[in-house]
Amino acid sequence: MVQIKYMLMVSRQGKVRLMRWFSAYSAKDKTKICRDLTTSVLARKAKMCNIVEYQDHKVVYKRYASLYFICGISSETSNELLTLEIIHRYVEAMDAYFNNVCELDIIFNFSKAYDILNEVLICDGSMTETSKHTILKTVASMDALETSDNLDQVLS
Amino acid sequence: MASIHAPSAEDVMQRLRPFGLFFEKSLKDLIKGIRSAGENPEDLRQVMNKALSECREEVSSPDLNLKTNAVLKLTYLEMYGYDMSWANFHILEVMSSSKLQHKRVGYLAASQSFYKDPDILMLATNLLKKDLKYDGNNDVLKMAVTLSGLSTMVTTSLASDICDDLLTMLGSSKPYIRKKAVAALFKVFLQYPEALRDNFDKFVAKLEDEDLSVVSATVSVICEVSKKNPYPFIALSPLLYEMLFTIDNNWIIIRLLKLFTNLSQVEPKLRAKILPKVLELMKVTSATSVIYESINCIVKGKMLQEDDHDSAFICLQELNKFCSSPDPNLRYISVVLFYQIGKINTDFITEFNVLVIRLLKDVDISIRSRALELLEGATDDENITTVVHILIKQFIDKDVVSATNLFRQAGSDGVEIDIPLSYKVKMVSTILRICSINNYSNIPDFDWYIAVLSDLCVISQDLNNDTIGYQLGDELRNVMVKVPSMRKKLISNIVSLVLSQDVSQSMPMVLRECYWCIGEYSNLIDDGDDLIKKSIKLDRLPPDVLQIMAQALLKVFSSWCNMTNPAPVQEIKSVLQGLLRFYESLSSSQSFEVQERSVEFLEFCKLCDESLEQGDEELPLLITDILPSFFNSYSLNPILHGTQRKLQDSLMLDLDTPFLSEEDVEKLLQEESSKNDLDSLLASDLELDLESDNEPGPNDDRKGSSVGDVEEEITFEARKSLEEKRRKERSDNPFYLEADDSALQKKASQLIEFDGEEKPSDLRNVDTFELSTAVVKRGDLKKKKQSKKKKAQVLLEEGLPDLISSHALASNHPRTGSFSSSKDSSTINLKMQTKLESFDFHTPQISPDATKNIGIEEQQELENLRAKFAAKSSGNDQNADDEVVIVKKKKSKSKSKSKKKGSKKHASEPQLPLP
Repeated sequence: MVQIKYMLMVSRQGKVRLMRWFSAYSAKDKTKICRDLTTSVLARKAKMCNIVEYQDHKVVYKRYASLYFICGISSETSNELLTLEIIHRYVEAMDAYFNNVCELDIIFNFSKAYDILNEVLICDGSMTETSKHTILKTVASMDALETSDNLDQVLS
Repeated sequence: MASIHAPSAEDVMQRLRPFGLFFEKSLKDLIKGIRSAGENPEDLRQVMNKALSECREEVSSPDLNLKTNAVLKLTYLEMYGYDMSWANFHILEVMSSSKLQHKRVGYLAASQSFYKDPDILMLATNLLKKDLKYDGNNDVLKMAVTLSGLSTMVTTSLASDICDDLLTMLGSSKPYIRKKAVAALFKVFLQYPEALRDNFDKFVAKLEDEDLSVVSATVSVICEVSKKNPYPFIALSPLLYEMLFTIDNNWIIIRLLKLFTNLSQVEPKLRAKILPKVLELMKVTSATSVIYESINCIVKGKMLQEDDHDSAFICLQELNKFCSSPDPNLRYISVVLFYQIGKINTDFITEFNVLVIRLLKDVDISIRSRALELLEGATDDENITTVVHILIKQFIDKDVVSATNLFRQAGSDGVEIDIPLSYKVKMVSTILRICSINNYSNIPDFDWYIAVLSDLCVISQDLNNDTIGYQLGDELRNVMVKVPSMRKKLISNIVSLVLSQDVSQSMPMVLRECYWCIGEYSNLIDDGDDLIKKSIKLDRLPPDVLQIMAQALLKVFSSWCNMTNPAPVQEIKSVLQGLLRFYESLSSSQSFEVQERSVEFLEFCKLCDESLEQGDEELPLLITDILPSFFNSYSLNPILHGTQRKLQDSLMLDLDTPFLSEEDVEKLLQEESSKNDLDSLLASDLELDLESDNEPGPNDDRKGSSVGDVEEEITFEARKSLEEKRRKERSDNPFYLEADDSALQKKASQLIEFDGEEKPSDLRNVDTFELSTAVVKRGDLKKKKQSKKKKAQVLLEEGLPDLISSHALASNHPRTGSFSSSKDSSTINLKMQTKLESFDFHTPQISPDATKNIGIEEQQELENLRAKFAAKSSGNDQNADDEVVIVKKKKSKSKSKSKKKGSKKHASEPQLPLP
């Protein structure tokens, strides 16, 4: 099964927009991975394949508009094609939530992007929810709960 | 209207905040600030630093909203590389808030920032325990947030504490909770395998849950756990097999295939059962990812037998289709799988050589590089020229890929791609490997191969890679030694290579073996004087080349002087002068080896020079006889790699018994003086030519012995006693074997014993630093066979009988080493360390006594931590007191016990009742 070790979202300029680590890394490793992958992925041409070998594992990336979604997966046990599919599902979910998502949406609502990611991928980095509808429902109910929290606060 | 109930200014701010009216800098402001700073790094740094210092203040404020906001901003800044671990205690506070809004931010920050900080993790553990207390009517969403945040925080003690709650959640009526709980249990199992053992059935029952997403999560957790330890799940195979038939969800099917891959790796009985089903699945499905996974399952699950050509053909047909697809991802993954199948049996992939050749021209370098690995199986003597030609053409910086390879319509332009250095290095290695495979049986024409090798030497200069240089050198030497008919041609190539300025400057590594060849086959070189004159002008050569070169040049000199039509004496003199100067310059070399050799040769050359002074017309005996006898006694045969070392290991030298007894020596010396052998010839020669106070030649003194008595003055009377002394010296020297004295030879070989029962018939004393010092032929020497009539004869390698098997073993893994991407210290390893791998699920355990001591220690530790934490967040201590929970740690004692029993268990695996 696909087990994603980490997911990065990087802009075309090489700015990190989101990073989620599904197991513990030291800060040094994190920066190294970010730096290495950003340079190697951004250098690749459109016609090249979306799988890069990096150190002891594989990296699957996909570009959507100005954003690169980069996933580190273990090379023996993961299905590269499914990883691409997961990235796609995630993008679809964000697209539906933000209604035509663009990079700015993600920059300003980065915590929402994380929330959606948490619904798509469970803590071990495998896909839990494939239905866009369910994901949106959960995120929406979380938002509703937050608002009511706030409302409580105001009314108090 | 002033009322005592009028809210204070602070209250107003507080109340307005939820509506997005912040009076502090919000995240939005921060992002805007960063964006407006733009690309100017100086501005950006200022903005960041300001934001950071603001956050530092806000984060320690007692107002939880403010704190949350600051933590959120810090999380954002962390993406820019600003460390936020200093705020971990504040994050904990935010996490412990009862409001979802805060909790969400807290857990997000925690999952980004907590890293193996034991203090923090211990406190987080207690918090999580509280948050996960399940009583049936918890807030679903709060639970979800907590479970999502779990991934970086699970510790063993937490795992053992929360697993009961999670297991209760499995029975929840809400599929959402069940699903999240299943997924969270994965992390728990990794840290606390006992949980899986004790609740195996309960967990596995979720495979038959009515909600598909729960089933999916369960399958994926089982799949992940089985990767670490597949044994407990083998018993589930019938059920899983059934699911493979009934479920039509591709996600789950792929997970099941993964699971079967893991299971059949350890359970051979499964392989035969599953294989037909997987093949059938491949036929039925339309999803490429399922086909891919099926093949993956067959290959990695070891279901493909070495002789199962039918199944292999089906898989390869599918892969062939993928490789022709316009989608580069499909091409890439199928090339990787091709390689995996080829590794099982190279015969499988031989017929796909057209495909491999096409992949070599792919637009994507990573696909090309993978295709290179396939070449070993896909080349034969028919296509090797084409393949090598294609590869050599790619030694450019920018390659233009033609439109047809881009899967576009013909007519549109090709694409230019960069060829990285690492790929070029790989190409050279691959060319060398596919050509030399099976003792050069693929080479149709050695003229061509020699041309290729010379080309490679020239184009590899820019690669700046030492390994490639050595590989090329080795290859040149191998061809030289193994293909006698090509030596003449190859040596002229090598000579021009050696003399080329470019090669000697940028690829000195290749020169070492080149000079060795030149020295060894110097009799094939016609214009040795030219070679010597040019070689000694080369400068800045590394010492390991010089040490070979010093010797090679003397050999060349020896051969050149003794050609059938020798050059005039005057010319020989001038060449000798050149050599003298050369050795002179090296005799102060920093490298010991170079210095030693050059000093020896220098002395000998001096002698030659003096002897040349004497007679004008004829060459002195020193040059015509003695010099060649140093080198030309034996021809060299190729031997197996490592033979020499093995020989030395198994060689027992008797160092105590003298070669000759006193009488023997006496007798021998008498015989010798009467015999007209080399020594006495020399002596008379010296007597005639040299004046009495001249130094005598060092006789047959070999380099190996390096007796420093060359410069000693010896009178004729002293000669005899000296000779005897030397003989004694020699007999003490195990490496000194008098090669042309048959009596000694015989004795010597009797002194050598071998561990095995092979019988050495011939031991040679060649220079110790050369490739083949000692060649031991087998009694029945293998016939040198010609593989094909049109091909040149390639010599087989000789070796000790017992060595052949061990060598064959070693050569089974040609890939280890050179190619495995150099792993430096900074390599990031994705493999998680878990306790699951060595865990045995069958032993129920528990030794409760051991818990107590640890429990007390833990509590003490926790108290200390609390104190520390309280000190840090002096203002806000709401969660410091109310969570005194004793953390029980699992004892290692019980685990080591279960490990012991584990080995027994696998032996008697139950028969699987598969349909």
